[in-house]
Amino acid sequence: MNPLELFVILLRASLLSIGGQSALPVLRVDLVASGILTDQQVVESLAIGRLAPGPSGLYIISLGYFALGWLGAALALLASVLPPLSLVAAAAFLRRRMVSRWAAGAVRGLALVTSGMVLSTTSTLAAPLLDGGGAVWQFALLGLGAFVVAQGRRHPAWVITAGALAGLALAR
Amino acid sequence: MDEGAAPAGKRLVPYSAGRLARTFFVAGSQSVGGGPTTLYLMRLYLVERFRWVTAREFMEDWAFSRVSPGIHLVANAGLIGRRLDGLRGVAVATTSLVIPASIIAALITAGYALVRDQPLVRAALAGIGPVTLGLTLGMNLILVQAVVRRGRRAGVDWLAFALAALAGLVFPSASVAIILAGFVAGALFLGHELPRGDPEDGG
Repeated sequence: MNPLELFVILLRASLLSIGGQSALPVLRVDLVASGILTDQQVVESLAIGRLAPGPSGLYIISLGYFALGWLGAALALLASVLPPLSLVAAAAFLRRRMVSRWAAGAVRGLALVTSGMVLSTTSTLAAPLLDGGGAVWQFALLGLGAFVVAQGRRHPAWVITAGALAGLALAR
Repeated sequence: MDEGAAPAGKRLVPYSAGRLARTFFVAGSQSVGGGPTTLYLMRLYLVERFRWVTAREFMEDWAFSRVSPGIHLVANAGLIGRRLDGLRGVAVATTSLVIPASIIAALITAGYALVRDQPLVRAALAGIGPVTLGLTLGMNLILVQAVVRRGRRAGVDWLAFALAALAGLVFPSASVAIILAGFVAGALFLGHELPRGDPEDGG
C-alpha cells in the first residue's frame, strides 16, 4: 500500500483519540474495512501491545508493521508521537484555556464517545473469535481479562500466558 | 530549565541529559504491563530517587497530558522533559521513551509473523485473543469511570457513553463523524466539572 496513505490513516486515528486505546475504532474502520488488515491482525496487535514494554498505545506499531513491514512500523511511531508532541508545544497556551467550561466538556465528550466506540469495536472483534465450539471457555477468558485489569493486582503478561495455555489445551 | 522545575539545590542527583535519557529508556523498555508500569517507573526515578521534579509538578504534568490526543505518556514525557531542559529535554525524554519500546514491539511482531501459521501458535491465539479483548474492555471501563462525573450528572455521561457504543455498532464506518459529534456535544452540554483522571489508565 501507499506509505503516505497509511501514515494519514494512523495520524488521523491518533489525532481523534484521547489515549492510545481510544484510537482503536477509527483504526479498525480505516484499516480493516479497506482490506489493508484483518480483524485477526488487529487482535494480534492488541495482544503484542500488551506483551511489549512501554505505553499500551504502542499496539499501533504492530498494526503499522502488519500493513507495511518496518516502514509501516516507523510511520506508526511518527503518527503516534506527533499529536502528543503538539500538545507539549502548545502547553503554555493551552494550560490557561483548559480550565474553561467548554474545553473541559469537549474533552469529556471526546473521552466518553471514544470509550463507547472502543466498547462497540471490541464487541465486533470478539464476535468471530467467540464463534464455534470453544465459545464458553473463550467467554470465560474474556471475562477473566476484564476482571484482572479492573482489579489491578495481576500483571497482564500472566493473564495472556494463561490464555495461551488454555488455548493450547482446549483449541487443538 | 523552566522555572517550574524543582530547585537545583534540592535535587538528590544532579541533572544531566544522559541521565534523563537513561531514565526514560528504563521506563519505556522495562515496563512490561503497559502504561501504569511506565508511569510508576517515571515517577520512581524523577520524583523519588532524583528529585528533579516535585510530586506536585509530576501530577500537574500527568493531569495535563490526559487531554492530549494520542498516547498520554508521550505528552507526559515531553512535558517533564520541557520542564527540566527545554526543547532538548522534550527530544531526549520522548525519543528515549518510545523508540526502544517501539523497536521491541516491532521485533515481537516480526517474530510472530514468522510463526503465526503454526498450528500450536494458532491454538495459543485462540486463548490469547479473548483475554486481550477482555483486557481492552477492562481498561476501557477504568477510563470511563475516570471521566464520568459524580452525582446526578453521572447518568448523562453514562448515557453519552452508551449512545456512542450503539452508534459505533450501527454506523461503524461513521466513526470520525461520531467522535466529532461527541467533541461538540461535550463542549455544549458536558462542561460542568473539570475532568478527573486515574493513574491506572496509562494511555
